[in-house]
Amino acid sequence: MGKAKKKHRLVDAKEPNLLDDIFPYRLPPLIRLEGPVVEYIDGEAVQFDFGAVKDRPIVISDTTFRDGQQARPPYTIEQMVHIYDLLSRLSGPNGVVRQTEFFLYTKNDRETLERCLALGHDYPECTGWIRAVKGDFRLVKEAGLKETGMLTSCSDYHIFHKLKFRSRKECIDSYCEVVDAAFDAGVRPRCHLEDLTRADIEGFVLPFVDRLMEMSRQVPEEQSVKIRLCDTMGFGISYPGAELPRSIPKLIYKLNRECGVPSDRLEWHGHNDFHKVHTNAATAWLYGCDFVNTTLFGFGERTGNPPLESAIFEYISLKGDLCGIDTMVITELADYMRSIGLPIPDNYPFAGRAFNTTRAGIHAGGLRQDEQIYNIFDTGKLLGRPPRVAITDKSGADGVAHWLNEFFGLKGDDRINKIKVHKLARWVIDQYDEEGRLTAISDQELEAKAKELFPDYWAKYKGAS
Amino acid sequence: MATVEERVKAVTARVLRLSSDEINMDDSFTADLGAESVQSIELVAMFEEEFGIEMDEDAALAVETVGAAVEFITNVCKEQGISIE
Repeated sequence: MGKAKKKHRLVDAKEPNLLDDIFPYRLPPLIRLEGPVVEYIDGEAVQFDFGAVKDRPIVISDTTFRDGQQARPPYTIEQMVHIYDLLSRLSGPNGVVRQTEFFLYTKNDRETLERCLALGHDYPECTGWIRAVKGDFRLVKEAGLKETGMLTSCSDYHIFHKLKFRSRKECIDSYCEVVDAAFDAGVRPRCHLEDLTRADIEGFVLPFVDRLMEMSRQVPEEQSVKIRLCDTMGFGISYPGAELPRSIPKLIYKLNRECGVPSDRLEWHGHNDFHKVHTNAATAWLYGCDFVNTTLFGFGERTGNPPLESAIFEYISLKGDLCGIDTMVITELADYMRSIGLPIPDNYPFAGRAFNTTRAGIHAGGLRQDEQIYNIFDTGKLLGRPPRVAITDKSGADGVAHWLNEFFGLKGDDRINKIKVHKLARWVIDQYDEEGRLTAISDQELEAKAKELFPDYWAKYKGAS
Repeated sequence: MATVEERVKAVTARVLRLSSDEINMDDSFTADLGAESVQSIELVAMFEEEFGIEMDEDAALAVETVGAAVEFITNVCKEQGISIE
C-alpha cells in the first residue's frame, strides 16, 4: 500500500453539480485543455499549446471515394453524387469538411467528378488522387482541379521492395520530378508520405521534405506542396515518450518546426489496424496538423480510416460550437449507406442502430428518470436519435415502460408509469421463462402487444387502426 | 367482508403462486416470499385493482413487508375515501 500524499475533503452538497460547463448536453461533451504539454525531442523539452486548437483553423478532409472505396465494391455514379451532396450539407457553410478526393482514371471516375462539381457546392472542395507519374497531371488539369494527392512512399519497405528503386536518392529525384511536373501544370501537389510510421525519418523523410519546401519557395503559395502524413499500417502512437518513427507528436514536430511545413499544409491520414485510428487523428490536430483525413463510418483499406463522423464530434467538442455543421446528416448518411448495402454494426458509435440503446433494466430505470443519466448528449436533437431501450429478459418493468413511452411519444406527466405496464412486462418475462426465448424482442412484436394491451393509448397516439 | 390483511395475503398468494397460509405479516416480499422485479410491479398493480385505489409508484414499491403493505394500503384507502370495513 502506498502512503497517501494528500487528504481530500468531502464537499457536501444538497444540490447536484452536473458539470454543465463540460457536459452541456445540447452539444457533445467539451474537451477542455490546459497546457502546456511537454514532449522531449532529441533531448530537449518541447512545449505544445493544445489549448490553441480552439482558435486554429483545423478542418476535416475526406477520402470516402478513394481509400473508402478501396474497401468495397465500387459505388455507382449516382451513389457518389448523392453522398457528395450529403457531405456538403454536413460540412456546413464554414467548410468544416474542407476537401474530398477522387480517382481520375476511369470514365466513371471523371463523370462522377464532373457531376459533383456541377452541384456548385463550395465544400467539400474536390481534389484528385494520382500515382507519382508525370503523365497523370494531364488528368488533373483536364478535370479542372487545383490540387491532387500523389503517392510518395517513404519507408524502405516501399522504396526498395515495392517500387524497386536502386537508392533513396534515385527515389527522391524521381518524386521531385513529378512534383515539378505538378508545378508546371499549375497544380498543387499533396505529397502522400506513404508508410511514414515505418520510415527512416532522419535519413529519408526530413531530407525529402526539406527539398519539397525548397521547391515550394519557387512557386506561388497556393501551389506550394502539402504533406499528408500517411500512417499506412496504423503503427502511429499518440502518447508522449514514444519513439520515432511511430510517435505522432515527434513526426509533426519534425515536419512542422524543423522542416517548416506550416500547419495548414499538414494532414494526418490514419488506419485502424491497432484500434488507434480516431485518437491518433485527434492527436495530430493537437500537435499541429490542421487537416485530418477521414472516411464516412471509417470504411477504408483493411481496418479502415478515421471515421468522419467521429472527427465531426471531436471537432465540435474541441471548438465548443457546432460551427455550422449539420450533424443530423450523419443519420441520413448512415441510413443511405445501409440502403446501398454497406453494413454498419449495430453498436457503432453515433450511427449504429443501437448506439444509444440500452438493454439493462437498471439503465432503463435511469433513462426513465432522466435521459441524461445514460445518454452521451442530446442525440435526439443532434442526430434525430433519442435514446432507446431494447427489450429482453434483463429490461425489467423500467425498460418496458421506457420503450412504451418512447413509442407513444409521451413526456412528463403524460408518461405511463411502470405499474401500468405490468401486463406487458409479464408478457416479456414469460417469453423467456415460459417460452424459452433467447433473442431480443423486436419493435414489431412489442407494437402488436402495445396495441392489444393499451388500446386507449393506441387510439389516441397511433390512430384508430 | 374479508379484512385488509386477508385481502393483501390473498393477492400476494395469487401473484406469487403461494398458499395464503404460508404468508406471514412480517414476511419480506422479496427476501422471504421470492418476489422478482416484475412480480413486485404486479403486486402493486393487483393491490390497486383489488382495493380500487391508485398508489404512488415509488412509495408503493418501497414497501418491504406484508404487514407494511397492509398499513400502507389502509392509509391510502382512507386518503382516497375507499371503504375497507
